[in-house]
Amino acid sequence: MMITRTLSHSVLALIVFIWVVPFVALVSTSLRSETEAKTAGFWTAFTPTELGHRFSTHDKGDDTEILTMAGNILARLNNEASGFPVTGDVQSILIKTRIPDPENPEKTKLVRKLVPAGEVMGVRGGDFVFQTNGDFTWTFEQPATPKPKNLDVFINQNPVFGTDAYIEVLFDNKNVPNALISSFIVTIPATIIPITIAAFAAYAFAWMQFPGRDWLFVIVVSLMVVPTQLAFLPILQGFSGIASWATSMNQWLTDCELTDTCQVASKSFASLWITHTAFGLPLAIYLLRNYIVGLPKELLQSARVDGASHLQIFTKIIIPLSVPALASFSIFQFLWVWNDLIVALYIGPNNADDLVFPIRLQKQLGTFKDQLHLLNASAVISMIVPVLVFLSMQRYFIRGLLAGSVKGG
Amino acid sequence: MQITKKILGASALVAASFTFVGAAQADVCDTPSKLGDLGSFEGEVITVAGSMEGQDEKMLLNTVSCFEKATGATVKYSGSRDFAALIVADLRSNNAPNISIFPQPGLAGDMAKEGHLVPLGDDLASWMTENYGAGSSWVDLGTYADADGKKDFYGFAYKMDLKSLVWYSPEQFEDNGYDIPTTMEGLIALSDQMVADGNTPWCIGVESGNATGWTATDWMEDLMLRTTSPENYDKWVSNELAFNSPEVINAMEVYGQFSRNDDYVAGGASSVATTFFGDAPKGLFSSPVSCLMHRQASFIPAFFPKKGEEVANGEADFFYFPPYETANLGNPVLGAGTLWTMTKDSPATRAFFEFMTEASAHEAWMGQGTFLTAHKGASLDAYATPALRKQGEILSTATTFRFDASDLMPGAIGAGAFWSEMTAFANGQDAQTTGDNIQAAWDAIK
Repeated sequence: MMITRTLSHSVLALIVFIWVVPFVALVSTSLRSETEAKTAGFWTAFTPTELGHRFSTHDKGDDTEILTMAGNILARLNNEASGFPVTGDVQSILIKTRIPDPENPEKTKLVRKLVPAGEVMGVRGGDFVFQTNGDFTWTFEQPATPKPKNLDVFINQNPVFGTDAYIEVLFDNKNVPNALISSFIVTIPATIIPITIAAFAAYAFAWMQFPGRDWLFVIVVSLMVVPTQLAFLPILQGFSGIASWATSMNQWLTDCELTDTCQVASKSFASLWITHTAFGLPLAIYLLRNYIVGLPKELLQSARVDGASHLQIFTKIIIPLSVPALASFSIFQFLWVWNDLIVALYIGPNNADDLVFPIRLQKQLGTFKDQLHLLNASAVISMIVPVLVFLSMQRYFIRGLLAGSVKGG
Repeated sequence: MQITKKILGASALVAASFTFVGAAQADVCDTPSKLGDLGSFEGEVITVAGSMEGQDEKMLLNTVSCFEKATGATVKYSGSRDFAALIVADLRSNNAPNISIFPQPGLAGDMAKEGHLVPLGDDLASWMTENYGAGSSWVDLGTYADADGKKDFYGFAYKMDLKSLVWYSPEQFEDNGYDIPTTMEGLIALSDQMVADGNTPWCIGVESGNATGWTATDWMEDLMLRTTSPENYDKWVSNELAFNSPEVINAMEVYGQFSRNDDYVAGGASSVATTFFGDAPKGLFSSPVSCLMHRQASFIPAFFPKKGEEVANGEADFFYFPPYETANLGNPVLGAGTLWTMTKDSPATRAFFEFMTEASAHEAWMGQGTFLTAHKGASLDAYATPALRKQGEILSTATTFRFDASDLMPGAIGAGAFWSEMTAFANGQDAQTTGDNIQAAWDAIK
C-alpha cells in the first residue's frame, strides 16, 4: 500500500514536472532581455551566468587625440537604455591576433586568447587593461586617435528580469490587443451555438421516439472522424456562394453600388462560427446524449404523467441536471476554438485587425522569430485565458469527464 | 544583360545617401520622380495577398500608402508565411483577392493554367519590355499559358532580389587577417584557412516552415552557374537536362562540400536542415562569432540583429560569390523577383498596376531599403544605402544573368520536390538519390 502510493506520487510528480518545465521556460524567457533570451537557455536565468557581449570602446566620430582613454565596459554596454542593465563581474576579453607561425616560417598563425582582468593586451597599437568592475584604460605611447574597437567580453552576469516585452507587445501597437478581442469574438459564439444545438439533439436522441433514430445517431457519431482539413475547399466554396448571393441581396435591398460597403465577405467571423459549430457538434451530441440517457428514467416518466411537454422536461429537468456535462463540453470546445490556427487561417477574416490570437502568434514567428522574448510574452498572454477558463470550471470538468460512464450519475 | 548595363550606367551617378532600413518612413512618397495622375477611386478597396511579413510588410504598406493618398482607394494587405498554401484554396473557392503577389513564378503559372489569373494586357507587357532593364526576360518570367495553352502576360515583376552575395563582418576579417576572395578557388582556400585557424567559415540554414529547403536551391543554382554553362542552366530549368545528369549531380556535390562539411558549418552539417534561414546570419554578429561568412540574397540584412543597420554602419558587408578561375564561365549572377498578378479584376486594381509602372512607386520602396528594381526610369539617387548601389555594381559587372531556377520550374518541383529533396540532402541523403528523386517527381508531372 505504502509502496504503491509512493510510486503513484512520484509518477504524478514527474508528470507535473514535465508539464511545468515548458511553462517556466516560456514565462522566464518572456521576462528576460533580448540578448539573454537568445544566447542562453532559460535555466541559466536564475543564477549568475557567464555570457558574451560585444562592446565598442567609444563612439564613432570622436577625433580628439588622446594618450589615455578611460571608460567602463558595463557603462558602454548599458549605453542604450533598456530595462535590463548588464551587471556582474567582467571575466575576460577575447583577443585574436596573427603571429608568425613557429612551425611554418612563411606563414602566420591565428592566436585566440582569453585575457583576464588586470592583464595588459594590445589593441590597435595601445595597451588595454580592464578590471573586474568593468573599468578599462587604453594607453598609447604617442598621442593617437584610435578608431573605435569592438571587443568580445565575457561577463558573469547577474540575473535580471523585466516586463519590457509585455509592455512592448501590449502597448507598442494594437496587434496583440486586437487579436485578444478577435479571439473572444470567435470563441464565445463558437462555444455557445454548438452546445445549445447539441443539448436539444441529445435530448431527442435519448428520450424521443422517432423512426431511424439509432441510424441517425450512428451517422452523427461517425461524423466525428471527418478531418477538418479535408473539408476546407468545399466549405470555402460554399461560403463564397453564400457571400455573393448575400452581396446581390444587399445591392437589391439597399441600392448600394458595388463598393466595399456593399460587399459581404465570405471569410468572416460568422464563417468561423458556422464551421466550428459544424465540426464541434458530433462530439457534443455524442457526449451529451450519453449523459442524458443515464439520467433516472422515473424522473422523466413522472414528469410525463404530470403532463409536462418535451420542451418543459428539457428546460426544467434535463438542463439543470446536465450542467456538469454541458460545462465540460464547453471547456473542450472553448480550448479547441481558442487554440485553433488552421481553420482560422483558411476560413477566418484576413484583415490585419481581425486576426485571431494563434494567427497573430504565427505572424510573430515570422516577425519575431529572432525576438523570442516578445513571442513568448504574447504566448503567455494567449495562455492566460484558457488557464482561467479551465481553473474556474474544473470542478465540472472532472465530473463531466465521467459523463455517460457511470449509469445514473 | 540589359539590366546589368543599366545599373552600371546609373550607379556611377549615385550620390551617397546614408539612410538605412526603416529610416525616414514619414516621407517615403516624397520621391525624386513625381507620381502621375492615376484617377480617383474614393471608397474602393483593393485586397492584396502575399507572403511578405515583418519588415517587408511594413515597407510594402508604406509604399502602397502613396497609391492610397493619390487615388483615395484603400489597400488591404494580408501577408502570411503560408501564402503558397492559402492562395491556392482562396483561388479555387472563388475567394480571390484583387492582387496576389507570387514569390514563385512556378506557382503563378499553375494558377494561370487553372484560369485564376486575369491577363494584364499587351500594353503592360510592351511597357515592361521597353522600360525594364532586360525587359523581355522579365516579361517572359510573367508570361504563362492558360488552360487552352494560349500564352498571356500575367505577372508584373516588382521588387527584385540579387542572390550570389556572401555576407561577412569586415571587422572580423580584419582581426583574423583575411582578405576578400575573388575566385571560387580562393574562397575554398579561405574557408580551409579559417578551419585551420580554429574558426568556422559558414553559417547555413535552410529551415523555412513549409518552404524549407529553398536556401539550398539557391546555393545549387549559384553553383550550377559556376560549374556549367548558362545554356546548360537553361536546359536544366526546362528539364532538357535531367536532374540526375552528371552536371547537376556535380553542382550538388560541390554544394555538399560546403554544407555537409562539419568543419565548414557552424553547429555542424546536421544543423543545416533545422536552422531557420533568418537565424543563420546572426552567427556573424554573435559574441563570440559562430561563423565568418553567409551566402544569401540581398534581402537578408532585414534579418540581422539590428535589422540591417549593420550594413549602414559598417558592421556587415558583402562580396560577390565568386566563380571558379579555371572554369572560364565569366561572372554569373543569380536573381529573382516577386510577381504581382491580378486575381480579381476591378478598375482600381488596374490603376494599381498603372501605379507600379510609375518610377515614383519604385523610388518610394528603394528609399526604404532591401528593394532592387530594373525600372530604367527610377532615379538611382533613391537607393537607401551605398550597399544597395554596390549590389547594382555586382549586377553590372556580371557577364551572365539568370533568374532563380526553382522559381522558373513548375510549382510541384520548384516549390516542392526540389525543396524537400535538398532538405533530405542536408540530412544526409546522397546526391545521386536526391537527383533521381527530383527527376522522378518531374517525370510524374509531365
